Amino acid sequence: MSEVVLELKGVSRAFGGLLAVDGVDLEIERGRITAIIGPNGAGKTTLFNLITGVYRPTAGDIRFQGKSIGSLSPDARAKRGIVRTFQHVYLFGNMSVLENVMTGVHPRSSYGFLEAALRLPKARREEEEIHLRAMKYLNMVGLGAQAQQNALSLPLGQQKLLAIARALATDPVLILLDEPGAGLNRLEKAELSDLIRRIRELGITVVLVEHDMPLVMGLAEWVIVLDAGKKIAEGPPAEVQKDRKVIAAYLGEEEEGGP
Amino acid sequence: MFAAWRKRWRWSLAAVLLAVGMLVPFDWFLGQYTHLGIMIGLFTMVVVGLCLLMGYTGQVSLGHAAFYGVGMYVSAILSTRYEVNPWLAMLVAALLTAAMALALGPIFRLRGNYLALATLAVGFIIWKVAELQSSYTGGPDGMTGVPYLSVGGFEFDSSFRRYYLIWGFCLAILLISQNIVNSRTGRALRAIHGSEAAAESLGINVSRFKIKIFVLSAVYASLAGSLFAHHAIHVSPGSFHPLVSIDLVVMAVVGGLASIWGALFGTGTMHILNDEILIHYGKWNMVISGLILIIILIFTPQGLFVALKEAYLRDGVWFLPKWFQGKWRDASSWVLLRRERWRGHVGADGGVRDP
Repeated sequence: MSEVVLELKGVSRAFGGLLAVDGVDLEIERGRITAIIGPNGAGKTTLFNLITGVYRPTAGDIRFQGKSIGSLSPDARAKRGIVRTFQHVYLFGNMSVLENVMTGVHPRSSYGFLEAALRLPKARREEEEIHLRAMKYLNMVGLGAQAQQNALSLPLGQQKLLAIARALATDPVLILLDEPGAGLNRLEKAELSDLIRRIRELGITVVLVEHDMPLVMGLAEWVIVLDAGKKIAEGPPAEVQKDRKVIAAYLGEEEEGGP
Repeated sequence: MFAAWRKRWRWSLAAVLLAVGMLVPFDWFLGQYTHLGIMIGLFTMVVVGLCLLMGYTGQVSLGHAAFYGVGMYVSAILSTRYEVNPWLAMLVAALLTAAMALALGPIFRLRGNYLALATLAVGFIIWKVAELQSSYTGGPDGMTGVPYLSVGGFEFDSSFRRYYLIWGFCLAILLISQNIVNSRTGRALRAIHGSEAAAESLGINVSRFKIKIFVLSAVYASLAGSLFAHHAIHVSPGSFHPLVSIDLVVMAVVGGLASIWGALFGTGTMHILNDEILIHYGKWNMVISGLILIIILIFTPQGLFVALKEAYLRDGVWFLPKWFQGKWRDASSWVLLRRERWRGHVGADGGVRDP
């Protein structure tokens, strides 16, 4: 019944002598909210960078919807339906809120330099469609009223929502959220959880890296735990919380009988 | 209603500017400024390309005069030595420049200061080659006898006629660039400026767009160079000395790097300032020009045109006095703060101390 949308087989990434990700196998199931957790330096963000193509794996294979994508560039992966948000948000400060989301429609539109320069009918038609689509996603995250503001004039919470809207505009199969809750207050976090559930209802698979445990445990249906570049546990949140290796990784290495 | 009125006001301003521009080459109007008008038109074409490249895409080029030079020389050599039709020569020059810019694509792996230095070097190399290949280019003295452009039997043999021809090209390039900026392509370019990592993550092929816009801006420069060759009849390496590249960047910055019409404004301002006003100050003109540039950059880092436009959108028709008042206030409070700091009443952190 369940279908694997993304599969990593023995994926490693070395930086000099350091193995930031060390032989990780994992499967992301379609339509599920999966959280990747782990202490600082566990390799979570490196894993995201490997999945989105910022880094190439030094060993192992990454398969997306049955096809190997390990050698594709980030923009090629985005076109195939893998999109992400960043820990540091990275909005386009030289554009309005709406234009940020319109930029997200890039891989789902096609007119180029010539059509743009001469404003040919194709450009106008597509531009209208791009505008409609962008407004749809802006309204979905509740920023429709701020469409014409500069993107960086928004408070951090709304900036993070805007980054999600921009990513959704690429019409992804899989969305990776890098610490979406960092820096948000409790109310904003509740709104974020609600938004992530609505994204799942669109049929989009969600993977998030997050430090906020209550947020993860309330939201994720599957949790994968990394420590020192290795996967040490995975399962439903309630089980993972009880896992001895996980507790040890978070609280310090004292597995065999404490003092 | 106010907004609509403002919009109409903008159109009427454009109409007035256009009308004055059309009248410039008439002797009974401002005939003596025809040459100045032509040079502003030509340089605006190059500066618009630089704005697309630097202001919108965030990639520096300190060697753009070289492409102006390539357009100029290819046009001149083909139409003079090989008697090729000037229009065809112009087209070949543009295609050749595009091919050169494409071949230079790999330098866009460099970023920031390194890219600036590499493009500066490109400017030097092409300039020096033109000077050394004297059997083709005439060396440092250049070459003369380049034919005028003509359509059918109509020859652009007076500067009056060429003024309109060149401004036709210039306006076309301004409109095309304006269209590009407000399109899917323009958003991709601005996204690259905003954050390359984010642009990439949204499916934008960053290096491809960088190279494409570099090629386009090089072609703009090449067209301007060709038009110059067929206007001035005489070409020499002096007109694209590497220092000209710096002047081009200055024009772009003064108008506003991230503004298409700012290119026109900046080019006009710098040309009028240097060629019409400061020329009467003899040897001190460069010094004064430099000081004015520094003042403009301090008070309107986003560019003169952009600053004035924003002031207009904020304050309406009477924005100018308000704007100057605001700038005067900024300047005087800056001076006051320095004085108080010097007297010791204000600390280095800006906090007030007991006297």
